[in-house]
Amino acid sequence: MACVSRVDGNAKPKSMSRAKQWTGEVENLYRFQQAGYRDELEYKQVKQVERIDRWPETGFVKKLQRRDNTFYYYNRKRECDDRDVHKVKVYTY
Amino acid sequence: MGAHPTVRAEEQQLRCVMLLAAVVGPPLAGAFRERPAKPTAFRKFYERGDFPIALEHDGKGNRIAWKVEIEKLDYHHYLPLFFDGLCETVHPYQFFARQGVHDMLEHGGAKILPVIPQLIIPIKNALNTRNRKVICTTLKVLQHLVVSADMVGEALVPYYRQILPILNIFKNMNINSGDGIDYSQQKRENIGDLIQETLEVFECYGGEDAFINIKYMVPTYESCLLK
Repeated sequence: MACVSRVDGNAKPKSMSRAKQWTGEVENLYRFQQAGYRDELEYKQVKQVERIDRWPETGFVKKLQRRDNTFYYYNRKRECDDRDVHKVKVYTY
Repeated sequence: MGAHPTVRAEEQQLRCVMLLAAVVGPPLAGAFRERPAKPTAFRKFYERGDFPIALEHDGKGNRIAWKVEIEKLDYHHYLPLFFDGLCETVHPYQFFARQGVHDMLEHGGAKILPVIPQLIIPIKNALNTRNRKVICTTLKVLQHLVVSADMVGEALVPYYRQILPILNIFKNMNINSGDGIDYSQQKRENIGDLIQETLEVFECYGGEDAFINIKYMVPTYESCLLK
């Protein structure tokens, strides 16, 4: 999994692999990639925000602003189906 | 000279048979006949570009991108318009209305409750189309509406007399497929089951008076809480 918290804000990923099974982290990566970002780190780099809107119960991403400044809203429950899990890219830094 | 009594009796018998043969049954009332909705305000506003939404095609299908944050929208203006679009059966209007309602209910919070009275007419219009897909979509939206915020279920109780009569007509629309499999059940497209589900949600979230009001409009409904 990508270790985002201790990485420098301008870091580039060293490698990429595909997710094998669904977890909460994979769900969030799926949501970031739907919006056109690699992961939370790139979103914070591009949008210059500190915090990301999340659902309090599940911790999943709730709202993201895309590069064209439109907004994607996500459900509080899981959106990434099992058939889409292998499409999620996991970056390591 | 008068006719022979036997001939007269035969003529009378023939006249009676002809009268009986002319009697036909009553015409169909058309309770289940679909009634297409008139052009909606949703379609008019969408074609004018008044909605802050755009259609995005991703690998999974379609998705809505909002040009304005939902939290900043005027719910009194937009939510009834999106509900009005539930009558639509054509793409992309149907998709935008359905997904727009879903997003606004998911992120509306306390802004939804004051708008409930304005949603009743669009809900009634959608149910009155008697279109199976529109009814299924509307029932799922009603379930979402009731759980979307506090007190919404109770706020809907006074309006049961306007939205439940149609459910009474379709409540027993379950296919008798013998020992076959009804896939519409697992896809949540079976109207009879959806109506039962919706009424149960109404009862769970409608407070103390919900059951009696539902029973008044749908007499065959049995409580899911008082068992």
